[in-house]
Amino acid sequence: MTQEEDKGLKLAFKDIEEIEERDDAALDLLKKRLLGVAVIVLFFFVVIVLRLWNLQITEGPEYEKRSYGNRVRIRQVAAPRGHILDRNGREIVTNRPSFDVLLIQEDSHDIGDVLKRLAPILDTDVSALWAKVREATGNPRYMPVRLKEDIDWKTLAYLENHNRDFSGIRIEVQPVRVYHYEDLAASTIGYMGAISKKELDEADKNIYSGEDIIGKKGIERLREKDLRGQKGQSYSEVDAKGFEQKQLKTVEPLSGREIRLTLDVDLQQIAESYMDAGEKSGAVVVMEVNTGRLLAAVSAPSIHIKEFIGGISQEEWKALLDNSKHPLINKVVQGTYPPGSTYKMVTALAGLAKGAIDENTTFYCPGSYSFGNRTYNCWRKGGHGSVSLNRAIGESCDVYFYQVGQRVGVDGLAEFAQKLGLGKKTGVEMEYEREGLAPTKNWKLKSRKAKWQDGETLSVAIGQGYNLVSPLQLCVMTAALANGGKVYKPKLVEQVVDIEGAIVEKLQPELVSQVTGLDTYFKLIRKGMEEVVQGKAGTARNVAIEGLRIAGKTGTAQVVRLAQYRGLKEAAIPYEFRDHAWFTCYAPADKPEIAVTVLVEHGLHGGSAAGPIARAVLNQYFNGKSGAKEPSKMVPVVIDPEDGTIE
Amino acid sequence: MIRIDRRLFEHFDMVLMLLIFLVCMMAFFNLYSASFPPKGYGSPPYVKQAYFFLMAFTAFVFVISFDYQVLHSWNYPMYAVIIVLLVLAETVGNTAGGAQRWINLGFFKLQPSEPAKLMLIITLASYFSRKEISDGYSIKDLLAPAVLTAIPFVLILLQPDLGTAMMLAIIFVTMTMFAKLRMSTYVIMGTLAAGLGLFAWEKVLKPYQKQRIFTFLEPEKDPMGHGYQVLQSKIAVGSGGKFGKGYMEGTQGHLHFLPERHTDFAFSVWGEEWGFAGSAILVGTYFLLIMWGLYVAMYARDRFGVLLAFGIVALIFWQAVINLCMVLGFLPVVGIPLPLFSYGGSSLMTTMLGLGLLMNVRMRRFQNSMSRD
Repeated sequence: MTQEEDKGLKLAFKDIEEIEERDDAALDLLKKRLLGVAVIVLFFFVVIVLRLWNLQITEGPEYEKRSYGNRVRIRQVAAPRGHILDRNGREIVTNRPSFDVLLIQEDSHDIGDVLKRLAPILDTDVSALWAKVREATGNPRYMPVRLKEDIDWKTLAYLENHNRDFSGIRIEVQPVRVYHYEDLAASTIGYMGAISKKELDEADKNIYSGEDIIGKKGIERLREKDLRGQKGQSYSEVDAKGFEQKQLKTVEPLSGREIRLTLDVDLQQIAESYMDAGEKSGAVVVMEVNTGRLLAAVSAPSIHIKEFIGGISQEEWKALLDNSKHPLINKVVQGTYPPGSTYKMVTALAGLAKGAIDENTTFYCPGSYSFGNRTYNCWRKGGHGSVSLNRAIGESCDVYFYQVGQRVGVDGLAEFAQKLGLGKKTGVEMEYEREGLAPTKNWKLKSRKAKWQDGETLSVAIGQGYNLVSPLQLCVMTAALANGGKVYKPKLVEQVVDIEGAIVEKLQPELVSQVTGLDTYFKLIRKGMEEVVQGKAGTARNVAIEGLRIAGKTGTAQVVRLAQYRGLKEAAIPYEFRDHAWFTCYAPADKPEIAVTVLVEHGLHGGSAAGPIARAVLNQYFNGKSGAKEPSKMVPVVIDPEDGTIE
Repeated sequence: MIRIDRRLFEHFDMVLMLLIFLVCMMAFFNLYSASFPPKGYGSPPYVKQAYFFLMAFTAFVFVISFDYQVLHSWNYPMYAVIIVLLVLAETVGNTAGGAQRWINLGFFKLQPSEPAKLMLIITLASYFSRKEISDGYSIKDLLAPAVLTAIPFVLILLQPDLGTAMMLAIIFVTMTMFAKLRMSTYVIMGTLAAGLGLFAWEKVLKPYQKQRIFTFLEPEKDPMGHGYQVLQSKIAVGSGGKFGKGYMEGTQGHLHFLPERHTDFAFSVWGEEWGFAGSAILVGTYFLLIMWGLYVAMYARDRFGVLLAFGIVALIFWQAVINLCMVLGFLPVVGIPLPLFSYGGSSLMTTMLGLGLLMNVRMRRFQNSMSRD
């Protein structure tokens, strides 16, 4: 190796060393930057851990609540509604399970196929089922669509056995109402229906939800709070699609309270059957004279509860509204009519109390009475001759009461009408009760802006003109006459019992007002009323029942008659222009127990149209039978018509 | 070349291996719960993940068997292969989730966008170790790496896999910054990025991608729609509380409120069942893994090794941070898995290959770069 070579090699090595040194320096610089990188990494991880702390420790409990709400579905379990019984404990309305077919869309593999196979089983067509599914558009797909309610046992058994063939189909059990006597007392008891949007807005959201069925009318509505019970809840865990994974806990529903009505099924049935048999429109009220208990409250024709189950159709609703007999109106409290001759007891009481007449006062009835420049007819064209109070009531002499009314004046009549419960609401547990009207001079001035004509007093005195009473008011009045002036509030609910058997409410007779010091006058009037049924010339002799003393009064409420029908034979007058028939009575006459009031719209004559119905009710009550004759085969007893026409 | 030096085993990094196994064990446990009850046919995800892990571990062993310097010299041919695969995926690949991503190899559905991430790291490390400038790279120096990044970036964006494309961009930015840039370069790059971002928003982003960003900003406004995932994830993690609801007891996950609960949202399942304690342990393990990766880079024997190790650590770090931020409601849902933890073969394969390279750098830290031994 030469020196030069050696030198050259050394140089070469030196180069390499220099290069390596420079390389190492650059590498160290690069590596130093890693420290900065580590700081940046640390920063990011600190941020992440702080975020975890924030989510899991600080806000942990809040998120835990949300995760619970996420996964737990609370389903309402409908409570069995309280039963409705009659006074003797007979079941009128109870519950039974209804099996409904539900579709859970999310759960179904092929909705079209399932519906196609399901339709014939449910006895419907596919398009109807699809319509229901379409109605639910917009709801979450796990929300059940109710395809059919209340399927029969055969269908239920089939579906239960073949549940694998129908994916997404579920059967749900719900309590529904059973009406043991069909439409018995339907206008009083009422019916159920789906809660409306308006009702839901006003309701307590903790109790009601959009799918609830609530009482819509009558006792079902007015006693909703007692009857509804308390819903149960089933808590189940659901997944994100809403499928129930497992049951967590269940709170059993509490049944509603049982309501025992004052109504008596037998009386109610008898009255209804008599109204139905003649296809009559009107009302029957039976009330205990000394307590105000309503034993029967009939409004005819009745609604048909079946039509209302599951919502009434537009056509059915329209037909009900257009029906000339107005089945939607509860005529017991909503129907107001001139009381006709049944008002004569008011006139008599007012006359006696005001000293206008006494027991021995007689008037001569030539068949008409002239007042001012007009002639007021008595219903008996030939006249009654000389009549006393007793005969005047018994034979309903108009001329007698024209003169009593004239002596007392309209305000005096109104005073006693009101004392006997007319012209104001009775306060019974029924909806839309109307006040009726006991007209006064002041009333006319205020509402008609006209002065009272003295001639009008004569019309009022025989129960026509402005007078308006409801069948219930007339029954309350009849009871007050029978019990010596006590006006009771009519009651419908005997007692309310909760599921533990505790009585939470019990009927207490409620005296609204009392007329005192007029006992002798009441006796006189009652004697006259007995004459109506028991007397030889009584206008309701046909009502008499052997072994029972009945006191009552017939009445005819004039329907404003067009001139063209005047003087026509009754049968020739169109139905809607015929007079309303009243009959009101109590029995036994010597020791009154019940008062019965019957109104037959356009029934013409109180004795013949309304009387037999009252008779059947009394017979049922006192003899436990409806009388020997079937209602449809009844041969009306022809009696003289009474008619207080005003010319 | 496949000759394995006995000394290599002595330098095998047990700490790195232990950290990898720790994360993988937690991932298995979590996957079992996240995919319970098993549904559909075939093996449940945790079993598949075990197969994937075996495959990925085989690849790991393969990757540590040769000197990583080989990648330095084979860089461009390998780069070309990946680009070809990306083009193939785009043209004949399988469609899934609205994006053309997969090439079906029969036994394995290859997502070439996954190895593309690694390829970019190798390419950039190779470039920056070849061209060394002490006072930082100028914008002219960055032209070549920018083009090398842009080609796979555009191909992946076309699929359209926004998440992975974004990762490529992030790797580029991170690695160039680490390699040191001149101040002027920062200014120009910043301006360019802003311009590109504006352009992307107007022209490139699909409506659903924009929607994700919108809903991220106000997730509560749309709880059943796009914001649903983030909200349910936050509820899951938050409801875990201090110690969690217990293994297999998470209601958010088991009742399917959590979307993608075994892939992108696997951490939510973990957070719900193990609470803050478990989450901190998992996140802590990631922190140690990344710190250890930086330590490996620190002791790499040459510039290529440092850059390569750094790139791999950056990839794992960014994916982990982005996934965690997404799951914890800091970022919109971008579809980036949590490395090693989320279910998915391609992602696991990429991560394990990367960690294999890291191990490679570690094991050969004492060998002379010029092969003079």
